[in-house]
Amino acid sequence: MKKFLWYFSVTLLAIIFMFPFVWMLLTALKEPGTALVLSLPKKLTLYNFKKVLFEFGFSRFFLNSLIVALSSATVSTLFASLAAFAFAKKSFFMKEYLFWLFIASMMVPGLLYVIPQFLIVYKLGWINTYWGMIVPHLANVFGLFLITQFMRQVPDSLLESARIDGASEFKIWWRIMVPLAFPIVATVFLLNFQFHWSNFLWQLIVAQSEEMYTVPVGLAMFKSAHEEAYTLEMAASSVSIVPISLLFIFAQRYFIEGITQGAVKG
Amino acid sequence: MKKGVRDNINAYSFILPFAFIYMVFLFLPFIYSIYLSFNQVTDFSDVFGGLSFVGLKNYLFLFRDKEFWWALVVTLYYALIIIPLNIVVSLLLAILLRKRYRLNSMYRTFFFLPFVLDAFVVGIVWTFIYAGRYGLLVNILKPLIGGIYETGFLGNAKTVMPSVALAMTLKGAGFGMILYIAALDGIPKEVYEAAELDGATGLKKLWYITLPLIQPVTTFMVIIGIIGALSAFAEFYAMTGGGPIVYKWGTPLGMTKVTGLYLFNHFSNLRLGLAAATSFVLLVLALGLSITYSKIQRKR
Repeated sequence: MKKFLWYFSVTLLAIIFMFPFVWMLLTALKEPGTALVLSLPKKLTLYNFKKVLFEFGFSRFFLNSLIVALSSATVSTLFASLAAFAFAKKSFFMKEYLFWLFIASMMVPGLLYVIPQFLIVYKLGWINTYWGMIVPHLANVFGLFLITQFMRQVPDSLLESARIDGASEFKIWWRIMVPLAFPIVATVFLLNFQFHWSNFLWQLIVAQSEEMYTVPVGLAMFKSAHEEAYTLEMAASSVSIVPISLLFIFAQRYFIEGITQGAVKG
Repeated sequence: MKKGVRDNINAYSFILPFAFIYMVFLFLPFIYSIYLSFNQVTDFSDVFGGLSFVGLKNYLFLFRDKEFWWALVVTLYYALIIIPLNIVVSLLLAILLRKRYRLNSMYRTFFFLPFVLDAFVVGIVWTFIYAGRYGLLVNILKPLIGGIYETGFLGNAKTVMPSVALAMTLKGAGFGMILYIAALDGIPKEVYEAAELDGATGLKKLWYITLPLIQPVTTFMVIIGIIGALSAFAEFYAMTGGGPIVYKWGTPLGMTKVTGLYLFNHFSNLRLGLAAATSFVLLVLALGLSITYSKIQRKR
């Protein structure tokens, strides 16, 4: 009986949580013009997907999102894990002070950086380029924090014996630290990818011509241009949501680990 | 000495890429926006050079601006709905998922998945659910809601804020759930056993044992809730655009024109000095409220 009640309540809650997305997909699969009829689609069609992807440029937006999110996530994870090695395992001038300076910026709401970042990007001539969309976000402080905490636990003896064998510091980082810290490096990569995939405000400001739009920006512009095209808009939303959902479902463990670690230590 | 210098160079070469980006795109902007907040853009063709120093004028403008005060009021209203709602739903999910029945991890995926999705896109989906006339909810609830049938839940000044808060709670509660599950797992079984010996039952255990022990997570949730409300932007941009208009304080004001939208408005009209001053006031508010809240918690 208790078990039945449990299944009943979690199932009900799961339906409520998943409903918007199921409904979005169903609407996206409906024939155009039937979106406003409150019923299940009579015939499933990929018409809307074809139309937004190939006529309204969403295949291009999708590609842009992928380029921006993949390169940002890769490079910022790389930078963070390089710096984390030094902070976790080396002693150097002003170490504590620098670490504190980096971490303190986590307290500052992102909106504060937007204006000056925009001015800098403008000055560099990077408006409407991938550079402008990617480079300002390559210093990921939260990632640095997570990876540093993890690398501190690697025993020093491991590094010492590698040094005795004549390994360079870079080789130690790449061959020992990164593989050992892989779970947290993967977490940071995923969190970064997710952040950049849905980073709306910054891309809205920097991407100014249609061929540079990312999916959320394309969706915002689409919204103002085609107010009544429900089925098309839901198809466009699905294009944005499906890849990140799949990524999440396959790598769920890393997402959850990262959040738990961050909150427990932070 | 020589070895020390070499070690330092070596260590710094690992930090360099990160530190360089940090200095140029985070530290410099922070300092620059302090400077910007005391200036006004006078020459739009040269947003860097075309500045004139105006002292505290931007801050004084904010202090006297009805719209800014209104933005603070509606943001507070939003925070007062979403923070408690989010905590209650997250905790409920966490308590439910502590029972390790079969399919437990599948349900956890369902609850957590919306959190990783984009607030703007989720907002768009909800605008269709909340829409008037053709929207899904108004048709289901038609006999109960009167005039909302025509305006939709986002077009009515009374329902708009709770509706946004509900949509964003359903999107974000999975995050709190994960934190609460971790915290609940950290409570030793003996604590409950001891309480049971003293005759404590379900709800009493929750109120007197569980809640105090998971207080750090709740504090954390309140703090990120405050910061989240003060910087909420994409969800309101997607769902309401600041509307519907209400007449208060003698002027038309946007019922959901929260601080994030207010700031964006200055920004998109190139009032950059004002926008920077707004960001600083919001930063000070976020820090002040967070510190005050955690101090009050610690005293208890």
